[in-house]
Amino acid sequence: MSARPSTRLSTRQARSLTGWGIANLAVVLYALFPVWWIVALSFKDPATLSDGDFVPRTWTWANYRGIFRTSEFTRALVNSIGIAVIATTVAVVLGTMAAYAVARLRFPGKRLLIGVSLLIAMFPPISLVSPLFDIERVLGLFDTWAGLIIPYMTFSLPLAIYTLSAFFREIPWDLEKAAKVDGATPWQAFRLVIAPLAAPGVFTTGILVFIFCWNDFLFAISLTSTTSARTVPAAIAFFTGSSQFEQPTGSIAAAAVIITIPIVVFVLLFQRRIVAGLTAGAVKG
Amino acid sequence: MTPVTPATPTAGARADAPRRPAGPSRGARQERRLGLLLCAPAVLVMLAVTAYPIGYAVYLSLQRYDLRFPAQAHWVGLANYGAVLTSTYWWQALGVTVLITAVSVAVELVLGLALALVMHRAVFGRGTVRTAVLVPYGIVTVVAAYSWQYAWTPGTGYLAALLPEGSAPLTEQWPAVALIVLAEVWKTTPFMALLLLAGLALVPEETVRAAMVDGAGFGQRLRLVILPLMKPAILVALLFRTLDAFRIFDNIYVLTGGSNDTGSVSILGYDNLFTALNLGIGSAVSVLIFGCVALIALVFVKLFGAAAPGAGPERR
Amino acid sequence: MPRVPSLRSRWMSAAAGLAVVASALAGCGSGGQGGPVTLNWYNFPDDSGALQQAADRCGQRSGGRYTIRYNKLPRGADGQRQQLVRRMAAHDTGVDILGLDVTWPAEFAEAGWIREWAGEARERGTADTLDAAVRTATWRGRLYAVPYNSNTQLLWYRDDLVKTPPRTWAEMLAAAEDLARAGKPHRVEIQGAQYEGLTVWFNTLVTSAGGSILTPDAQAPSLGAPAVAAATVMRDLARSVAADPSLPNQMEDQNRLAMESGTAAFELNYPFVYPSMKANRPELFPHFRWAPYPAVTPDRPASVTIGGIDLAVGAYSRHAELAFEATLCLRDRDNQLTNALEGGLPPSLRSLYQAAELTRSYPFAAEVLAALDSAGLRPQTPAYQNVSIAVSHTLSPPADIRPENDVADLRGQIQDALGSKGLIP
Repeated sequence: MSARPSTRLSTRQARSLTGWGIANLAVVLYALFPVWWIVALSFKDPATLSDGDFVPRTWTWANYRGIFRTSEFTRALVNSIGIAVIATTVAVVLGTMAAYAVARLRFPGKRLLIGVSLLIAMFPPISLVSPLFDIERVLGLFDTWAGLIIPYMTFSLPLAIYTLSAFFREIPWDLEKAAKVDGATPWQAFRLVIAPLAAPGVFTTGILVFIFCWNDFLFAISLTSTTSARTVPAAIAFFTGSSQFEQPTGSIAAAAVIITIPIVVFVLLFQRRIVAGLTAGAVKG
Repeated sequence: MTPVTPATPTAGARADAPRRPAGPSRGARQERRLGLLLCAPAVLVMLAVTAYPIGYAVYLSLQRYDLRFPAQAHWVGLANYGAVLTSTYWWQALGVTVLITAVSVAVELVLGLALALVMHRAVFGRGTVRTAVLVPYGIVTVVAAYSWQYAWTPGTGYLAALLPEGSAPLTEQWPAVALIVLAEVWKTTPFMALLLLAGLALVPEETVRAAMVDGAGFGQRLRLVILPLMKPAILVALLFRTLDAFRIFDNIYVLTGGSNDTGSVSILGYDNLFTALNLGIGSAVSVLIFGCVALIALVFVKLFGAAAPGAGPERR
Repeated sequence: MPRVPSLRSRWMSAAAGLAVVASALAGCGSGGQGGPVTLNWYNFPDDSGALQQAADRCGQRSGGRYTIRYNKLPRGADGQRQQLVRRMAAHDTGVDILGLDVTWPAEFAEAGWIREWAGEARERGTADTLDAAVRTATWRGRLYAVPYNSNTQLLWYRDDLVKTPPRTWAEMLAAAEDLARAGKPHRVEIQGAQYEGLTVWFNTLVTSAGGSILTPDAQAPSLGAPAVAAATVMRDLARSVAADPSLPNQMEDQNRLAMESGTAAFELNYPFVYPSMKANRPELFPHFRWAPYPAVTPDRPASVTIGGIDLAVGAYSRHAELAFEATLCLRDRDNQLTNALEGGLPPSLRSLYQAAELTRSYPFAAEVLAALDSAGLRPQTPAYQNVSIAVSHTLSPPADIRPENDVADLRGQIQDALGSKGLIP
C-alpha cells in the first residue's frame, strides 16, 4: 500500500498526499476495526446483540452497569491492576540493576545471564504451568496475588533487561563525570544528570512490562481459583448469562472494553516512548 | 504508578560510576563484584521460578502420573515420549502449529515491512498511524480473540454476514486455521513493523538516495539496498515472532478451543495436563514443545546468523 | 499450606462479601469468638440469585452454627471441573460442598475427593428423589453425592409450521424436508459442536436405540448396532436440508438463538429456552410447543440423557458433619423450588413436579418428569472426560460421520481412554 506514493514524491505532491492519506487511513482502519466491533457489541442491548450490525441501532450502558453491579468483575479489575503494577515495579527494579551491569560493567557470567534470560524468554509457558501449580499449592501461593506476581515478574524480566540495557547503552555516562568535575556531589550528579537521562527508558520499560503482565491469560486461568486473585482476562470465563447455557456476550464485550482502556490511554499518551522502547532492543541487539 | 520506580534502581549507577574509569586491577575486581551483585537478584528470581519447574516437568514426563491417583504414580522411562511421538494427535497439532507459525510470520513480515515503510516515510499523520498501530500490539489477546470470534459467528457477526449464507468458518479445519492466522497477524504485525522500523532507521538516507540517482526503481532499491541493510533487524524480528507464534495459545483457546483439529501443540499440552489430568503425558508434550522452540532458535542463530537477542551487547 | 486459602477467603468475605456477612450476623446475632462456621460451596455460576438465596436461607436456618459462602465456578463445564480438580488435588480443606456435574461423581469418588453418603444422611438425601438422578451420584454401589437439580431435553417445535410433533427422527427429517420445499423455516436445532454436548446427543441416540456406550461394568466399550444406528441418525441430519449450516459450531445457546431468530422449526434443547422465547420473541411464543424427544426406532421411545448437578461433601473439609447437613438444606424442597422458578432448572424431587407453583411456570413439567423417568445415563466411569473427548472428536463434524468405521474407531479410542493411555486430542 505504501510502495506507490513514495516513488514520485517530488513531481506529484497532491497525488502523493492523497496516496499517503489513503495509506494512513488503511493502517488506522486495519488497527482499529476489531476494537470498534467489540465496543459496538458492548453498547448493544440483548435484543440487538445478535443482529450483526456494525453500529448499534440502540445504545445502552446496561452491559457496563451489569458488570459493575457485582464484585465478580470489580474484584478482578482490582486484582489485574494490583498484580500488574506490583509485578511491573519489581521487574523494572531488578531489570534496571541487571541492565546497568550488562550495559556498563565488565564481569564474568554476563553471557550466562544473557543466555538464561534468552532461555526464559523463549520457554513455552505451558510447560511451566503444571509444575508451578504444584509448587504454588505446596507453598500456599496458589490463588494469591503473589502466585501471579512471581511468574509475571519472571517472564517479563528478560524483556526488561533487554530493553533497559539497550537504553542504558545510549546514555552519555561521561556527563556524570563532567558534572562532578564541575563540583557536583555524586548524589547531585546522579539526581540532576543521570536520573533524568535514565528515567525515560525505565518508564518506557515499565509500560512494556505492564502491557505484558496485563495481557496474560494462561497463568491467570491456571494459577487462580477464586476472586481473590483472578484477573480480568480469566474472570471473563466466569460471567453468566441469564441462564446456564446462555452466553454473556454483552458482559464479556463490556469487560473487554474496560481492560482495553488502559492500553489505549498508554498508547495515546506515550506513543513515542513505546515505539522507542520496542525499537531500541531490536537495533542494538 | 510506574514513575516512582526510577529513583531506587539507578542507585546502583551512582555507587559505581566514579570508579568506572579506574585501571584493570582493583577497579576491575570491584567492577566485577558490582556486576555480579547487580545481576544476582534477577538471575536468582529467574532461576528459582523456572529452573525447578523445568526440572520437575522433565521428571514428571518420565512417569505415569495421573493427578487423580497420585499414589499409583510410577516410573515409565521414555514411554510417555513414545506415546506422544507415535500419536497422530501430536503430529496433527505440530503440523497445525508449524503451518500457523510459517504462514503468519511470513504474512507479518510482508505486511510489517509495508507498515514500517508507511510509518517511516509518511509525509503527515505519522503520530496517528503509530498510535493506531500500537493498539493491536497492546490490546489483550483474549479481548481481540473474542472480538474476532463474535465477528465470525454466523448470526451475530458482521464478518460472517459477508460470507455466503450458511458458512460457519470457525467450524471447519482450514477456514478456522485461516482465521486463527488472521487474528494472530492482526495482533502481532505492529510489533513486527516496529522492529523493522528500527532496522529501517539504520539504513542511511544517502545510500538510498544514491541508488535513486543511479536510476534504481523502488523495487530495486528495496531489494538491493534497503533489505540487505536491514537484514539483522529482520532476522531478530523473525526470530522473536517465530518463537512467539510457535507457542500460540490464547487465540486458539478462545476462537475454536482446538476443536476440529485446529489445536496447536500448546493447546494439546494444556488439554492433556488439565482436562485429562495426565501429568506424565502432558509434561512430555511440554518438554517436546520446549525442544522445538530451542531447535528453532538454534536454527536461526546457526543457519542465518541471527544475533541472538541479548548476545549482541557484548560483541558490539 | 492448607490453612492459607481458607484464612484468605474468610478475610475476603469480610472485605468484599457484605451480603454474606450480613446474613451471618442475621443468623447468629453475636457470634462471639467462635461464631458460625463458614462452609464453602462451589457451584456453577448462577445469575438468577437462586443459589445465593439458598445459601443465605440455610445459613439463617442453621441457628448460628454455620453460614454458607457460595463460590462461583466458571461458566463452562470443563472450566468448572478444572477448578474443582485443582483444589481437590491440592487437598484444599476450604472446599466443603461441591456442585458436580452428573458425570463427575465417579471420577471424584475414585480419586477419594468426596465423602460417601451413608446411613441417615443417605436416606434423607435420596428420599422422594428421581431414580435416574440418584444413579448419577452412585459409584460402585455407594452413594457419593445427592442430586440437586436435574435436567433433560425436550423437542421444541413451532405449531404454526408443524401440526403434530414428529415421534421419530425419520419423521422429523421428513417434516423438515416438506417445510423446506414449501419455503418455510425448517431447520432442526441441535448441539453439533465438538464438545461434551455432542457426546450427550450421541449418548441419547445410543440409549434410545437400546444400547449403551460402555458395558454395565464400565470396563469396556459396548457400542455395537445401536451405536451405528445412532451415528447414522447424526450423519443423516447433518447432511439433510434440516441441518443448520453452523451445526458443527452449535451449542445449546446458539440453538436457542437460531430458534428465536425464526429460521428453525425444531429444537432439541433444555427447558431454559422456554422463558427466553417468552421474553425475546413474544410473537413466536404462542406457537412454541414441546413434545417428547424423538425416538430412533418407532417401536422404542427415546431414552434421553439426564443432566444436572449433584452435591457432594469434600473429603478434606474440616466440617464434614455440618457440610452434610447444609447440603441437605440446600437441596430441600423450598430451595429446589426457588432454583426451578428463578434459575430455570428442573428439580430432582419427584413431588415438586406436581406442585402447582411449579407447573404454573413449567407447563411442560409432566413431559420433563416422563423424560427423567425413562432417562439414560452417560457412561459412568472415572475416565468419562476422556471417553467423551474420544466420542466428540470421532463424530465431529457430524456430516463426515462414516457410521461403521467411526464406531469401530471409537471402540479402540474408548478402550485407550478407559486405561487413560495415550494422548487425548
